[in-house]
Amino acid sequence: MMGIYIFIFFAYLFGPLIIMSITAFNSAEFPSITPWECFSFRWFNEGKIAYDGQHLAGLLSDWRLHDGIISSLIIGAGVVTLSVPIGMAAAIVLTQVRSQLRDIYYSISIMPVLFPGVIIGISTVVLWDRIAGLGGEGFIADIGRNGIFLTILAQTCFISTYCFLIFVARLQRFDQTQEEAALDLGASQTQVFFKILVPYLSPAIASAAVIAFLFSFENYNTTVFSILSDQTLTTVIASKVRLGISPALSALALTIIALTIIAAVTYEVLRRRAEKRYAESQEKFVKEKAADNRINKKYKAGFRIPKGITAILLIVVFATYGATQIVKNDLYGQSCIDAADKEKKSKFLEQLQTLESNELTDEELSGGSLGGNQDYGDIFGDPSLFQDFGGFD
Amino acid sequence: MSADVELSDVSVTFGSFYAAKNVNVKVNGGEFFSFLGPSGCGKTTLLRAISGFQEPSEGKVLIDNKDMSGIGPNKRPTALIFQNLALFPLMSVSENIAFSLEVRGVSKEERKKRADELLELIALEGQGDKKVHQLSGGQKQRVAIARALAVEPKVLLLDEPLSALDLKLRQRMRTELREIQKRVNITFIYITHDQGEALTMSDRIAVMNEGELEQIGKCDEVYNNPLTPFVATFVGENNPLYGKVTGIEGDKAKIETADGQYLATMNESKKLNIGDESIAFVRPESLFIPRDGDNFDNKIDVNIESFEFEGNLKNFYASLKSGAKIKFSVPNAIDTSSITSGSSIVLGFESSKSVILPKASLAID
Ligand SMILES: Nc1ncnc2c1ncn2[C@@H]1O[C@H](COP(=O)(O)OP(=O)(O)OP(=O)(O)O)[C@@H](O)[C@H]1O
Ligand SMILES: [Mg+2]
Repeated sequence: MMGIYIFIFFAYLFGPLIIMSITAFNSAEFPSITPWECFSFRWFNEGKIAYDGQHLAGLLSDWRLHDGIISSLIIGAGVVTLSVPIGMAAAIVLTQVRSQLRDIYYSISIMPVLFPGVIIGISTVVLWDRIAGLGGEGFIADIGRNGIFLTILAQTCFISTYCFLIFVARLQRFDQTQEEAALDLGASQTQVFFKILVPYLSPAIASAAVIAFLFSFENYNTTVFSILSDQTLTTVIASKVRLGISPALSALALTIIALTIIAAVTYEVLRRRAEKRYAESQEKFVKEKAADNRINKKYKAGFRIPKGITAILLIVVFATYGATQIVKNDLYGQSCIDAADKEKKSKFLEQLQTLESNELTDEELSGGSLGGNQDYGDIFGDPSLFQDFGGFD
Repeated sequence: MSADVELSDVSVTFGSFYAAKNVNVKVNGGEFFSFLGPSGCGKTTLLRAISGFQEPSEGKVLIDNKDMSGIGPNKRPTALIFQNLALFPLMSVSENIAFSLEVRGVSKEERKKRADELLELIALEGQGDKKVHQLSGGQKQRVAIARALAVEPKVLLLDEPLSALDLKLRQRMRTELREIQKRVNITFIYITHDQGEALTMSDRIAVMNEGELEQIGKCDEVYNNPLTPFVATFVGENNPLYGKVTGIEGDKAKIETADGQYLATMNESKKLNIGDESIAFVRPESLFIPRDGDNFDNKIDVNIESFEFEGNLKNFYASLKSGAKIKFSVPNAIDTSSITSGSSIVLGFESSKSVILPKASLAID
């Protein structure tokens, strides 16, 4: 029973992501699994020039997306360099204030995470617009109306609070007599900071930096206001979605998921290796202390098959099966795509003809229910119908 | 190189609370000096005042006759060994030991040389590359001492450094500490609430209670001639006999209690008058079961309630007529098999082995 619940839970969590990832490989213009058109990598590459001459960008050829990613990276770096030191300083101050003030100081410090991000974004813009208005033309005016600069400031407002919380958690376990011991041994305050506190905080510094970057990278509701005329990855995606989803977004999602998994696995592997090294040094220490042979024997473990192998085998089996099916049914390659395009083109002409011959019925329809029994899948499936809205880039 | 440490009228207050009050003491250079007192009596506070972490609210700390007010802990010729040792967990043993040299900009080779020297002093040669968590409790202890000695302080301050160790190790470390002190020949100021520790290691001790010094003196002096009922009962065990002074003969005073009259020795500085409320103290090991020919100044009738076997001693718990309790110890070498619970016997003690003091509160109250 438990297994079923867990399965449902994971299906709920990851189902949408998996479905979306699969649609990235369908050559159809609209992200879908059924009907499956052709297996293709086009949405990761150059996208598609539609038969009517319209360009549907793929991941590699979408310059707006690239610009968005670049600004997101710049903003992320800026946010990390600002919020990590701010969070750290605020947390250190917390350890120094007296107990009555502590609670008040703590409450004020964490308040920014409770504000709606929208308000932080808008207020930053309002403030800097005033400041920019003061200085006339020049540096202040430029910077006060620079979307990237404002976004860094606005995001730092609340992201530094997350950093603060990370540092507070680590500092709570800090033994302050270590600082006193260092002072007593002749270290200056600066030396105490760099030789005792910073090494102790370094794991927190790393996680605060990663968290700050991720929060910045994925932020939308503050950024959408503070970014002004620029674009970040999230605002680009949002504006695309407003115009209709393209499989290129599925491809982007899959890429991001893959990068995340690779990063997480690498981190985990490195962590385990460090842990193993620590355990080995401990073990050596135990062995050194105990010349007793029984202990030594116990540590000689036999060869074991790692559990991960089963999962990897399963994935390989499924992938091979899927690939053979695709090849067998001729669902792959240029010939498949050409055939699909040809079919769509003739269907399009057919529809056009029916529309022309049905001009009378159209008038009747406008009085009645809109859309009638139109097939929505078909409308969205045909990007040319969106041309009035500006279409895809 | 060692230095005198002088506390002149030192008081430390937290709000209106006196953690230390009018402390006057002069520790001589090269001396092993202990502050002894119960938990919370202000020992750590005094040590922090000497090391510079806590400015006295009143009075002065003098080291080598130099006023230390306004001089921070990193500028004083003292090194402190913390109650929890406070070793640096992210550094190796050698790095810990050489930390004070590192912050003074001493070169790497020289640091290594000094660290090796100190590792030899604490009998941990070749273990400098270990991490702190790989050491046993006693080894950590010694590393903390080596770290404090690295810059050759003139005064080493130790805050109950042995309290976390088990009994056997504690006893061994006492001897080792004493040996290290003799070898490096600097002033040691040691803090403890364990009177056994203070008595075995120190040249002199100061007994503290609630922020105030009760008595300063050599170990045997404090043990044999306590100045207050607190010291009498805190340093070693003592049986109190409450009563009124009824007569004075030279340095002896006669005390009338509910169970009879006893003769006890007065302290020169604590003279009593007839009629004063007072307490006579007699230690468990000074109470004897009289044998033929023994003639004690004082006799005391007791009723045995229980006894326990401690190894070298056998401890008896008895009650007097008035209900007061008394404890006495007999060396195991003496046959006491005839004395069992319920038996009534007569004990004797010498007036020279009993002190009489004006009434005040005891340590065990
Ligand atoms: N920073 C402080 N603020 C307020 N009171 C304090 C402070 N430090 C110590 N005290 C008080 O001063 C008194 C003495 O404390 P201290 O640490 O000197 O005791 P101690 O003799 O070292 O005790 P222990 O043997 O338990 O270590 C205690 O009652 C303690 O509550
Ligand atoms: Mg203490």
